Amino acid sequence: MRLLLVEDDATLGPQLQAGLQRAGYATDIATDGIEAEIQGKLEPYDLVILDLGLPKRNGLEILANWRSAQVATPVIILTARGGWQDKVTGFNTGADDYISKPFQIEELLARISAVLKRSTGNTVETLHTAHFKLNEQTQTVIFNHGEQCNLTNIEFRLLRYFMLHSGHILSKSVLTEHIYEYDEDKDSNVIEVYVNRLRQKIGSHLIQTRRGQGYVFGVAS
Amino acid sequence: MLSLKGRLSWSLTFSLVLLLSLQWLVVSYAINKLSEDQLSKRLQHEGESLLASAQFNASNQLEIDPQRLSAIYQRPFSGHYYVVITGNQRLISRSLWDTDLNIKNLAKDEQKLLYSKGPEAQSLLIVATGYQKQGQAISIAVAENLGPLKASIEHFQLIYAAISLLGLIILLAIQRLIIQHALLPLKIIQSDIAKLERGEANQITSKGPVEIAPLITELNHLLQSIQQKSKRSRESLGNLAHALKTKLTLLNQTAERSEIEGLPQIRESIYAATNSLDQIIERELKRARLMGDIRPMQQIDLKTEIAQLTHTLRMIYKTKIVNITWEVIEGTKFNGDGEDLMEILGNLLDNACKWCKRNVSLTVTGGDAPIFVIEDDGPGCPVHELNALTQRGFRADESVAGSGLGLAIVYDIANSYGANLSFSRSAALGGLRVEIRFTPRKLFT
Repeated sequence: MRLLLVEDDATLGPQLQAGLQRAGYATDIATDGIEAEIQGKLEPYDLVILDLGLPKRNGLEILANWRSAQVATPVIILTARGGWQDKVTGFNTGADDYISKPFQIEELLARISAVLKRSTGNTVETLHTAHFKLNEQTQTVIFNHGEQCNLTNIEFRLLRYFMLHSGHILSKSVLTEHIYEYDEDKDSNVIEVYVNRLRQKIGSHLIQTRRGQGYVFGVAS
Repeated sequence: MLSLKGRLSWSLTFSLVLLLSLQWLVVSYAINKLSEDQLSKRLQHEGESLLASAQFNASNQLEIDPQRLSAIYQRPFSGHYYVVITGNQRLISRSLWDTDLNIKNLAKDEQKLLYSKGPEAQSLLIVATGYQKQGQAISIAVAENLGPLKASIEHFQLIYAAISLLGLIILLAIQRLIIQHALLPLKIIQSDIAKLERGEANQITSKGPVEIAPLITELNHLLQSIQQKSKRSRESLGNLAHALKTKLTLLNQTAERSEIEGLPQIRESIYAATNSLDQIIERELKRARLMGDIRPMQQIDLKTEIAQLTHTLRMIYKTKIVNITWEVIEGTKFNGDGEDLMEILGNLLDNACKWCKRNVSLTVTGGDAPIFVIEDDGPGCPVHELNALTQRGFRADESVAGSGLGLAIVYDIANSYGANLSFSRSAALGGLRVEIRFTPRKLFT
């Protein structure tokens, strides 16, 4: 899952970014309104966290511009003013959720997870398959027979993306785009390595290779 | 309060009535006086010609030559009479018949003007003069009935009064038109001010006459500066909130650093501190915004605003199925600040959504003095506790988590509008029923 965090505070922004990365989200950061709007239009983000009080361009304006340009990326608004007028305007402009400052990181992560599940059409609380559950807080796989298996950060990102898009064909480049941040070194061959490691941990039959197209998760062959 | 129009009308009417009455009196007096003078002069001439036609005969008796006498003195009670007295001889005109005039001897050249009752209740003007003829003293009194003259003067007075009255009515009507025309600019300004009150305009557009143009300019200037000030203060409050809360979030983030991982008490106390700071900021900033009542008054489109608000609540309560129904009775108007109304309804509906099992309803009635009723089918709440909370007032530092802050904000806003907030048990849904009653906005009429 790749997120765009739009926050202009020089200290809070990077701290939040680090927190989101620890939680397994590839997170890019934008610090002003104009930059944020362009980035949100160009990059295939899975979700945007948008602060409303931004320099150069107001958060609501950015959101309105995205929606009129058919950018349907889910957006969580960060507001400092807890007023209802702001909430109403935010939702009316096209936000998917809001969170008022000050918040705790757990609260933000819970909102992100809920919005992502909604936007990918998943209605369940926790991601699971017939054999195991994915614990997003501890980034572990819990098998039905009770055994646990720790995942590395990249493995977790990859598995969560597969599970949220279960049944879809995902090419290596799509996976790269949604798992790595903008300025990270992207080598799509590395994806193969991570997919193989995941197969070893959760069972190879769950991730199938479609030659020339990519991978499919969770479809019985 | 007496209106300008009333004042002008009354003083003009009064002065016109006074003027016309005075004129009537003067003219009537003059006519009366002139005609009586004329009459007495004529009577004197009549007396002199009577004297000329009187002769002493051989037996020293006075005789009047009937040939030279006007026939009018022969007809009984004709209204023209004479009495001639000399020595102990008293000659009276035939017209007096068996009556007499109360006339005594007069000295030579003595003249008297008398008003007296004559025969058949005629009111007579008598001119009596003393003469000397052929060495003998003669007094001649000539009288005439004033009745026909009086009657024609009265007739004239009546017609004159009628013309004056007609003139008065016409003048009053013209004067009324003039006043109305002169006060027309004020009427326009009045309707401009009413528009201002209803929030349909934010400046007085008409210029008005020279006398009050400076007042309007000053008022517009004041309005503009209030609007700017209120906008600026809103912006700066918003900026302040944004800056403070961003820093509070940062503090939370600091508490979440891995170094503090093993010290949950420290983390919790930081969370508690930021939370309470947040509530203090929220409450006080909202209070500051309400202070001074310089908010712009607008007429709010209730249906649109409520539709948007319920959409927002459905988004917030996505995981819980809440059935929000609302109704705005036709003709219900709210004049005030949209943000304030949003804040009131948002907080109350949010609370209702939080506690309800499934149903929340909002009804707006009351015409110009809107009444908002919010009901839910939740467990309800001890009503006295809620009333106590809002009556006692709310202090951020003693707040317990939950709906306390929202309710306190609602109470503050309602108070600033002079609206009445009350809680009870909902008869329809079984949960809590909150009612906010606004007082009608006072408009200049």
